[in-house]
Amino acid sequence: MAGDIRQAAALQEMEQIIAQYPAERRYILAIMQDLQKKFNYLPKEGLQMTARHVNAPMSTVYSMATFYKAFSLVPKGRVNFKVCDGTACHIKGSQTIINEIYQCLGIKPGETTPDGEFSLETVNCLGACAIAPVLVANQKVYAKVTPAAVREIIKEHGGQINEPAVNE
Amino acid sequence: MRIKIDGIEIDVTSGETILEAARRAGIHIPTLCYHEAFGGQGICRMCIVEVKEGNRTRLVASCTYPVNGEIEVKTSTPEIERIRRNIVMLLYRRAPNSEFMKRLYEEYGRPADITPADPEESCIMCRLCVRACEKVGSHAISAVLRGTEKRISTPYDEPSPDCIGCCACAQVCPTGTIKVSTMPGKYEIWNKAFEMDRCESCGRPFVPPVILEHVRSKLGPEFTEEHLCPDCRKKKTGKIMADSHMSK
Ligand code: SF4
Ligand code: SF4
Ligand code: FES
Ligand code: FES
Repeated sequence: MAGDIRQAAALQEMEQIIAQYPAERRYILAIMQDLQKKFNYLPKEGLQMTARHVNAPMSTVYSMATFYKAFSLVPKGRVNFKVCDGTACHIKGSQTIINEIYQCLGIKPGETTPDGEFSLETVNCLGACAIAPVLVANQKVYAKVTPAAVREIIKEHGGQINEPAVNE
Repeated sequence: MRIKIDGIEIDVTSGETILEAARRAGIHIPTLCYHEAFGGQGICRMCIVEVKEGNRTRLVASCTYPVNGEIEVKTSTPEIERIRRNIVMLLYRRAPNSEFMKRLYEEYGRPADITPADPEESCIMCRLCVRACEKVGSHAISAVLRGTEKRISTPYDEPSPDCIGCCACAQVCPTGTIKVSTMPGKYEIWNKAFEMDRCESCGRPFVPPVILEHVRSKLGPEFTEEHLCPDCRKKKTGKIMADSHMSK
C-alpha cells in the first residue's frame, strides 16, 4: 500500500516536471536532466511520459537517455559511491578502488547492488587532487583511499563483506 | 552545372550529392550506411572522396556532400584507400561475424591481423535498420548506449509496443544481424511475437493484424477490407480481368 502511494506521488512529480516544458523535442534533454536531478535516475515511466509529452518515439528518448553518461537508468543505491577517476586519482590508483568495490559488492561503475543498498559511479576531477585518490560516499569525502579503507567505508555504511577466511 | 569525377564530366543539378551523381555516371563509390531509399547518413565514412575546389582539396563523405559549384572529385587515391582499409579493419574488429563483413575484409586485402573483440558480433552499426523502421515501420528501434557498447535495440531490450513486425529492419540489414524466427502461424522479431491472420480464401496464415492496421492507417479509404493473401489476391484480380474480357 505504502509503495503504491509513493509510486503515485512519484508519477505526479514526474508529470509536474515534464509539464513545465513546452511540448517540443528540443526540451527532451532538459526534461531528462530535471528528472535525473529529482530521482537520481531516469524512471521508465518518466521517459515514457516525456516521449508522449513531446510527441517523440520512445526509441528516440531511450537512445538519448542511454547516450549521456550523466544519466542513469537504474536507481542509485541508498549509499552512492563516487570514485574520482580524474588524472591525479587515476594515477594514484582509482582503478584499485573500483576493483575493490567490485570484489566486495559485485558492482561496476553505473551499477547498483540488487538489494538497492550500494551504487557506484566514476566522476571526473573533484578538485581535491592533493588527497588523491578520492572517494565520496553520499556527501562524505574520503581521502587517500586504499583497498583496505574501501572495506572499512563499506562497513561504516552498513554493508556486509564476506571477509576472507582467516586461519587461526 | 558540370563537375568532374575521376576525369569524367558529369552534369549535375545543384544540391545533388556527389555519390548520386557518380552512381548516375556509373562510377562506383563504396558505401556502407547509404541506401537509395533513405539517402546518405554520413556515419560510416566508407564513401569518402577527395574534392578539389579552386586549389583547395579536402576529403568529404560523398553520400552527404551536396554539389553546389564547380568541383573536381577523385573517388580513389592512396590516402582514400588507406582510410577505407582502416574503416574495414575497425569494423571487422568490432563485428566479424557476417558473410558481408568477411567478404569486405578479404576484398580489402585483410588490412591487418586482427583479433576481433567479440567473434559473435555481426552488427556494423550502419543504422540502416533504424532508418528503415523510421520510414516503413514505426520508430521502434534505435541506437542505444555509447562507445564500444553501442548497439541497436528496442527500449529496455523489451518487446516494443511500437513495433508492427514489418521486418523492414531485417530486410535492409546487410549483415543479417536482425533475426526473424518463424513458427507455424506466427513469427518473432525483436523478442516480439506476431500471430498471423489467415487468408479468408485459402486459409493460409499470411499477415499479422497490426500490419494490416498500419497499412490501413496509411492508405485510408483505398484500403481493401478483403482478407486475402497475395496469391489469392492475384488469382482474384486475374479472374476479374478474365471475366471482363470474356463479357466483351
Ligand atoms: S519489424 Fe519492428 S523494428 Fe523492424 S522495421 Fe518493422 S516496426 Fe521497426
Ligand atoms: S542491425 Fe544490421 S542494419 Fe542495423 S545497424 Fe546493425 S548491421 Fe546495420
Ligand atoms: S583527479 Fe581526483 S580530485 Fe582531482
Ligand atoms: S555511405 Fe557515406 S558515410 Fe556511409
